[in-house]
Amino acid sequence: MAEFQGRGGQAPPNPELADLAKRYAWPEKPALISTRVKRLDGPDKVSGRAKYTYDINRPGMIYGKIVRSPHPHARIVSIDMSAAEKSPGFKTALSYKEAGAVVMYQGDPVAAVAADTEEHALDAARLVRVRYEQLPHFANVDQAMAQNAPVVFPGGNTKVGAAEEQGNLDEGFKQAAQIVEATYSTHVITHVCLETHGTVCEWDGDKLTAWVSTQAVHGTKDGFVKGLDIPAANVRVITQYMGGGFGSKFSPDAQGLICAKLAKQAQRPVKLMLDRKEEHLDTGNRPSAFAHIRAGVSAEGRLTAFDAQSWGTGGAGATSGFPLPYIYDFPNRRRTHKDVYINAGQQRAMRAPGHPQGCFLTEILMDELADRVKMDPVAFRMKNLPPAAPNAAWGEYFEIGAKAFGWDKRHPTGDPTPGPIKTGFGTSAHRWGGGGRGSKAQCDISSDGSVVMKCGTQDLGTGTRTLVAIVTAETLGLPVSAVHPEIGDSIYPLSGGSGGSTTAASMTPAIRLTAGKALDALAAKVAPHLGVEASTLTASNGRVHVVGNPSKGLAWKDACKLIGTEPISVASEWAEGLSSTGTSGVQFTEVTVDIETGIVKVKRILTVQDCGLIVDRLTSESQIHGGIIGALNFALFEDRILDRNTGQMVNPNMEWYLIAGMSDIPQIDIHLVDTPVQRARGVIGIGEPPTVSTAAAIANAVRNATGVTIRSLPLQPYKILQALEEQRAGGTN
Amino acid sequence: MAPTDDRPEHERFSVSRRDFLKTAGVGSLATAVTAAGAAEAEAQTGAKVVGPGDVPVSLMVNGKRVDLQIEPRVTLLDALRNRADLTGNKRVCDRGTCGACTMIVDGRTLYACSTLAIDVQGKPIRTVDGLATGNTLHPVQQAFADHDSLMCGFCTPGFVVATVALLEKYPNPTRDQARHELDGNICRCGTFVRIMEAALATKGVTRG
Repeated sequence: MAEFQGRGGQAPPNPELADLAKRYAWPEKPALISTRVKRLDGPDKVSGRAKYTYDINRPGMIYGKIVRSPHPHARIVSIDMSAAEKSPGFKTALSYKEAGAVVMYQGDPVAAVAADTEEHALDAARLVRVRYEQLPHFANVDQAMAQNAPVVFPGGNTKVGAAEEQGNLDEGFKQAAQIVEATYSTHVITHVCLETHGTVCEWDGDKLTAWVSTQAVHGTKDGFVKGLDIPAANVRVITQYMGGGFGSKFSPDAQGLICAKLAKQAQRPVKLMLDRKEEHLDTGNRPSAFAHIRAGVSAEGRLTAFDAQSWGTGGAGATSGFPLPYIYDFPNRRRTHKDVYINAGQQRAMRAPGHPQGCFLTEILMDELADRVKMDPVAFRMKNLPPAAPNAAWGEYFEIGAKAFGWDKRHPTGDPTPGPIKTGFGTSAHRWGGGGRGSKAQCDISSDGSVVMKCGTQDLGTGTRTLVAIVTAETLGLPVSAVHPEIGDSIYPLSGGSGGSTTAASMTPAIRLTAGKALDALAAKVAPHLGVEASTLTASNGRVHVVGNPSKGLAWKDACKLIGTEPISVASEWAEGLSSTGTSGVQFTEVTVDIETGIVKVKRILTVQDCGLIVDRLTSESQIHGGIIGALNFALFEDRILDRNTGQMVNPNMEWYLIAGMSDIPQIDIHLVDTPVQRARGVIGIGEPPTVSTAAAIANAVRNATGVTIRSLPLQPYKILQALEEQRAGGTN
Repeated sequence: MAPTDDRPEHERFSVSRRDFLKTAGVGSLATAVTAAGAAEAEAQTGAKVVGPGDVPVSLMVNGKRVDLQIEPRVTLLDALRNRADLTGNKRVCDRGTCGACTMIVDGRTLYACSTLAIDVQGKPIRTVDGLATGNTLHPVQQAFADHDSLMCGFCTPGFVVATVALLEKYPNPTRDQARHELDGNICRCGTFVRIMEAALATKGVTRG
């Protein structure tokens, strides 16, 4: 993405491209777009034939293993490779850090080895003797913010940002009939990509081929060029399939550069895939978020004031920002944020960075405020929304969702039903940007009728490969199966990283216009044959024909026979007019809480979500399922736990780091908004929006069920039991 | 290195998990695991001892015999992925939690990341790689593709194998049976809803 951000939409005007974009606007009555098209690579993935980076086995390949710091903060005294070098199968080793350097978190890379088998690489890594001088560390924000805390981070353990202010706070609180003041928080979670980060590197002289599990083939290529200081022409990055990224896989990282260096030293291909523990420690996480909030509401249920001090940690020296307040219109507000540094791996973008945190903190508060003025949570929210717009349609969606969900059956806070199982409803709203720009593509049509569409994008599992084929086929009037999409390789035209829900909006306009340009070229060949002007031709139902007269034309195969020996090969790119930015959505949840065990079960989740023009309804719905289930994990299960004394991660695995299984999955009802208004906006993106609100909606449902407010995630049983106990003891809940 | 022995390979090198653990335990007590140390251990415990270096291991995978020279510590998953290029089943958690490595051995599902290759010699092993016949997908695979029961696809091979095992046990499973049998697998993209749809929609799998 970085490649395009610098342009800021200020590319020089290109009349030819603008004309193409006008002539190839999205069709009013598409044959394929917005329908349910099966994933093209489904058969390869279900059969095990799809080759991920982890599956690449090259002739003569050896295995790399990284030696990492076991300490959260230490100075390296010495690194001794001698025993490792003597171990069976040892091939090569390198120091990533030198003696005297400081490691800032458990899992900070120090050295690496390569050996003939994976088992031998592990043995050799264990024999690398690194001596450390341990230094003071912080395992949590309280330790880092303590009055007498040592200075662990150069420049200070915290960094305070500028205050964001609007309106008149004093006036706002004067208007308030009720004020809620409390501290809210969310926790750190890790991405847990099922395919761990890693690389297979192979050199041919000075040229590097790297198979990388990445969500940015071009960005990762750039990372190798810079990290290894080699010419761009000498690096090729391939990612045909990748097993999940969620925002954590945009560059070669330390392990990619280490792998390339080991391969160069050993003059052998090297596979270096991280193990599960390394994945938790050193490949990113979602920062925590805390806020002490004081907020006011008028007797009529209008928000009047919002005053917050927020903080959070993105690990060792990384930021922790998030939007606050979220969505709702507080006319008078102030917020200051403080980044707190602790000795843990640095955060990375994680599916809708910042939004699940800001959403949770605001939405729990919203339910508390609604109760203070005795208003229904949906009505209260609708009264305090910003003005409606195509990218801000919450009011409409709340109405649709409430009706479909049966919100009118919601009881007031605290389920009066006798017995230990309490039921509750909750709701929440969210927004996300999406949109994108800058992708390029190339289309080749041969005289045998075959169509290849090349684009240097990648498929994270969202269905990108299928979207390339759908848009190409739509434009050329062909079935999806007639198109060969080629993606996931840096030899293909530039496309950005798959982050921020930008892939579809960046790539599909480029595909549309490139296919359109190819059709223009074909029409120029066919027109003389039919004795018509090329501009009168179009393509549909497998024919190239005069607009409005399908019988005056040629079948696709016959039309392509006129191409001759030199294939049509055209390139084009993204242009304004086919994509847009900004989505809105709402969610409703129903939960049960067992007040004897504290266990929460989510029964059903309903979402109303827009995403502009839907390209493939089937895969869009799958992404919504995925976003919701990811957020259910955030709400109930996942938690990166660092031991407060040692700074060690207690659960760097998948049995104590909890993730939902089949029995935890609720009924999920999707209302994917497909209206003329949304279609007219063009393609936007759907990866992130659905994962924002679920946790807040679940927490509000738990509050509605139990009558106690849990202001921190995750909603673990002990917290619920503790809150209920405090309530029985006459606490303030 | 290996002592002369006329028994067939799978008998010579078939070591039960319990035996392996016993010998591994004794081995760690010795200052170095040498051939002599191993022999001593064998004498003490009565267990058959192999390794520590490469030993012949013969596996019956998807109906074909796969002969390997590997260390006894190599898991079934790593043996197939790293030595036999059978990469369909994935390594994810590597400690028997997530199910991406699920294979059917002797008619039962197991986590291949937590099973030693040497322990399953002579037993029929089925991996995701062997389910399709040419380009014709197994009915479960076809149902997964039709229902979009996958996204990134990394958990998919394990879920496909687990679903095959489910349907061979219960050809027309209830939702609860399916839930129970598939609870040993984890998906991070969140494909569960459509995996369930595929599991309940698949027809024509006969009792295994």
